[in-house]
Amino acid sequence: MTQESSTALKTGQMFINFGPQHPSTHGVLRIALTVEGEVVVKADPDVGYLHRGIEKLFEARNYSQGLILTDRLDYVSAMPNNLAYCLAVERLAAVQPPLRAQYLRVMVSELTRIASHLVFFGTFSVDMGAFTPFLYAFREREMILDLFEMLCGGRLLYSYIRVGGVSADCPAGWEEKCGEFITFFKPRLKDYDTLLSFNPIFKDRTANVGRISAAQALSWGLSGPNLRASGPDYDVRKAEPYCVYDKLDFTVPTGKTGSCWDRYYCRMLEMGQSAEIVLQCLDALAGTACLPAGRELPPGEIMAKGVPKILKPPAGQAYAHIEASRGDLGFYAVSDGSPTPYRMHVRGPSFLNVAILQEILAGCKIADVVAVLGSFDIVLGEVDR
Amino acid sequence: MKNYILFVSEAFWNTLKGLWVTLKVLFLPAITVQYPTEKLVPYPRFRGMLAYDAEACIACGMCVRACPSKCIALAKAMPVPQQELCSSSGQPVSPEGKRVPKIEWYTIDYGRCNFCGLCEEACPTKTKALWHSLDFEAVFSTREEMTRRWKRGDDLWGTARRSADGQFSAVADQIHIQDVPVRK
Repeated sequence: MTQESSTALKTGQMFINFGPQHPSTHGVLRIALTVEGEVVVKADPDVGYLHRGIEKLFEARNYSQGLILTDRLDYVSAMPNNLAYCLAVERLAAVQPPLRAQYLRVMVSELTRIASHLVFFGTFSVDMGAFTPFLYAFREREMILDLFEMLCGGRLLYSYIRVGGVSADCPAGWEEKCGEFITFFKPRLKDYDTLLSFNPIFKDRTANVGRISAAQALSWGLSGPNLRASGPDYDVRKAEPYCVYDKLDFTVPTGKTGSCWDRYYCRMLEMGQSAEIVLQCLDALAGTACLPAGRELPPGEIMAKGVPKILKPPAGQAYAHIEASRGDLGFYAVSDGSPTPYRMHVRGPSFLNVAILQEILAGCKIADVVAVLGSFDIVLGEVDR
Repeated sequence: MKNYILFVSEAFWNTLKGLWVTLKVLFLPAITVQYPTEKLVPYPRFRGMLAYDAEACIACGMCVRACPSKCIALAKAMPVPQQELCSSSGQPVSPEGKRVPKIEWYTIDYGRCNFCGLCEEACPTKTKALWHSLDFEAVFSTREEMTRRWKRGDDLWGTARRSADGQFSAVADQIHIQDVPVRK
């Protein structure tokens, strides 16, 4: 008996491909795992399965056509992609969008942040074995998508924010509908907490799993809620305010331990803050709130004047970055004076966030790989570009 | 052991609290739309299948230049000069006789279309010759069918290439979303 088991049970390392067809990778990410029993010894994230050469495609399109490509980067939250691109091109061409457009931009960005974090909330809970929150999250997300459909006609790929402004002003009744949504949505956050956040089963599964120290997070270049969950309080909206974020009152929630639960709860708190920002923007658009500088918002003016259809920015380079739903999203545009960009580089937060997996997955249990990966909320469209 | 019992009881209690949240929703009206029998009508700005009016089009080619994926192609046709409206020099004598280029044929390759709306925005005619309709129910079974072609006299939905013989024929089963029940 003893002899038999000693020959039959040979322990050794085993190689497992996690993905690219695994449902928990939320896309086509492959993680090459070397496991020893239940413990991961080595993890190698392998990206590139969704590479479409978008950065190169920018060079074959003019500036207004290039905007369409930005939607396809982080397709779960397309509005901030539009915004970052437009900010970079506007910096390149020295265009100043009108104030009303800036408020609309901030508002749709924050609505997208809510919609994107709702997808995270839903899919993360499904990864952790809870199905009900998924349905709740998508009920609320549907309302935001309806708002976007009213506003710009797109439900997923918006192309709403344009160079010099936004493509359309809000239609009649949109602001009321948006306000209704926020009043409906804010109490729902408590429901989410009851359903999932403080459920001991869920907490047991995520707290103390995949912990990232602040120093680790900074050295790997994490950004967004993934960074803030570890403690560093860095948010582009506060550090380098763009659009009208310096006039808005909001806080940046941070976590303490950098565990999966902290990353999750950071996003939950961010949704509440985004709802507050949307309310403030609605007040500003309606003109009921006193703007800090005492300025009135000119109604209806949503495009900067004198932006030509075929934009030819002067030769030069510009970089603009914003706080997108997943972190610090930057666009680096180089112009040689022609209607097409000479070079366009995208700093995608998901791509940088996925790199740290190789460090923190080592030592995890196999079951925690899904928890850690899910808590990063990566979108493969942005990882691979 | 004591910790384990505490954890189980806490988990049980929290599950009950979660069930209370779901119980409250149980008595609300369902938000599910039973799709094939019930349909939502999109909002007016919705970017659905492209509708094209061959009579209104002036064949300027703005949409061709605006399209990021180059899915639009067209050929312009000059109208037959109307001799009775022209002076001896061949110039039109009245505004009605102005020679406006008209469309010979116009194709959209839906296999490449982004549904971004730039073509509609670029269209310079007063009543848009090309616009996104509210139709979201397009089905293609082959790549050839994805090319829609319009000639003068065709309706808004154009003709699709039949994969069987490569000929263009009217789009079958084009659903007009305006006919379905309105959004709740």
